[in-house]
Amino acid sequence: MRSVLSSFEDAAKLVKDGDVVTTGGATFHRAPMEFLREIIRQGKKDLVLVDREPAIDFDLLIGAGCVAKVRAGLLAFELLGFAPNFRKKSESREIITKEGACQPIIAGFRAAAMGIPSLTIRGMLGSDLLEISEILGSQQQVEDPFTGEKLIAVRAIEPDVAVIHVQAADEYGNSRIEGPLYEDVIKAKAAKTVIVTAEEIIPNVEFRKKPEATKIPHFLVDAVVHAPKGAYPCSCFNRYDVDYDHIREYIAAVNNDRFGKYLDEYVYRRAGA
Amino acid sequence: MSKIETADLMIYAMSREIDNNNTVLHGVSSPLPILAMSLARKTHAPDMAFVSGAEGVDPDAERIYLSSFDPRQNRDAVAYFGLHEVFDLAQRGELDVMFLGSAQIDRYGNTNLSVIGSIDNPKVQLPGGAASAFLMPITPKVVIWSARHTPRTFVEEVDFVTGQGYNHRSKEQMKNEMTIVSNLGVMNFKHPDRVMQLQSYHPGHSIDEIKKNTGFDLLVAPDVTETPIPGPRIVDIIRAMDPDGIRVTEFG
Repeated sequence: MRSVLSSFEDAAKLVKDGDVVTTGGATFHRAPMEFLREIIRQGKKDLVLVDREPAIDFDLLIGAGCVAKVRAGLLAFELLGFAPNFRKKSESREIITKEGACQPIIAGFRAAAMGIPSLTIRGMLGSDLLEISEILGSQQQVEDPFTGEKLIAVRAIEPDVAVIHVQAADEYGNSRIEGPLYEDVIKAKAAKTVIVTAEEIIPNVEFRKKPEATKIPHFLVDAVVHAPKGAYPCSCFNRYDVDYDHIREYIAAVNNDRFGKYLDEYVYRRAGA
Repeated sequence: MSKIETADLMIYAMSREIDNNNTVLHGVSSPLPILAMSLARKTHAPDMAFVSGAEGVDPDAERIYLSSFDPRQNRDAVAYFGLHEVFDLAQRGELDVMFLGSAQIDRYGNTNLSVIGSIDNPKVQLPGGAASAFLMPITPKVVIWSARHTPRTFVEEVDFVTGQGYNHRSKEQMKNEMTIVSNLGVMNFKHPDRVMQLQSYHPGHSIDEIKKNTGFDLLVAPDVTETPIPGPRIVDIIRAMDPDGIRVTEFG
């Protein structure tokens, strides 16, 4: 094992303009928000974002101008409504939206995790989403060679970078995730580069005492960053809850042309903002 | 009826779509499904398997939140079961009931959650279909809820087929059931032509009113009836989980 302990600044340099990026968590829960704020500070461009059900994580990067394309099963702010930057920039064609569905995206990650070019799934037939996906080359109707059943082959999704926020990690990248895992372990196996941000950096000996709690082992991880409150304003299970008021403030900022001010205050942290 | 009474009536109707031996899943932005599943488990379906979109199995959430994936939703769960695992189950035919939303729905049960206008030039970029296109054709029962039954939501033709209605299904998928619970009534596809028919109208709403609020010629089941009102015990269970009325957020 070698230490991969890093800083936000250095770890974010692993993300290149144009990279395919996925984030851990789902909607407002355990998204790697502080890392994404660093991505914005470094002015990354033309990212291609992929996930099953993202929310403010993708919307923030979209609003800050870091994104060229989005592929998601659903991108919204739950009962708080539309993802405001996503909706605006998708309708003005500033970003390209390749809407998917949850299962093909999850299956795409699983295929990449398994090291195979595609995985077959059920469902999808008869949906216009399949038609679009066939044109884009991400899904294809196939016949099962053994039963003749009509299935959908989903092309593997191998992100250039997966960024995953966890409750605890050691300097080598061993990571504990408490509560729901979402697709985080699959993503850690699927991505070329894996960046973990952790509420706490704990000694390696703790992992050896309880290996069953390790959800992502060190050899999958390229960088670890100590990130207390790293999911804020999203939740981090067993640590803190989602700050719905902050998310309301975010939505109001976008909808009232104050998003630049929001970025100044919460991302660039400029004095006097 | 007030919005909250309508929500409670819908939740009660949705809960009755669940049988005691069912495995049931809810997804994102789903306050009504969470309350319906919790209600079913606390009343007529104590043995059902409740799989939360927040990944908890058989949770006993004290209350609901603005996010249906809020981990607090998993209180008292017996296990975590990830979405990819539930999807495996669905492909095996072992997920019995799924609750899904829709922005537009037509007479065949096609739903649109993708885009108003054209996909290349959207007038409104909708949030996306989530699990709809995967689960709608393969799940034995899909329950769709809509808090806004108007000619703009119940349309002649959806702008985009996200979830597959009966005219976009294979022969073997025709047997899978679909129920629509709206703020005005309960609809299903038990008609021999597999088109939408009104099965019950909520108290205070006439069949004519519901037909007028539907953008196509809505058929009426021969045994159409009034939707049952939840009794005080049912209402108490719902309100205890949602004292702040989060469940009416969708009612606009």
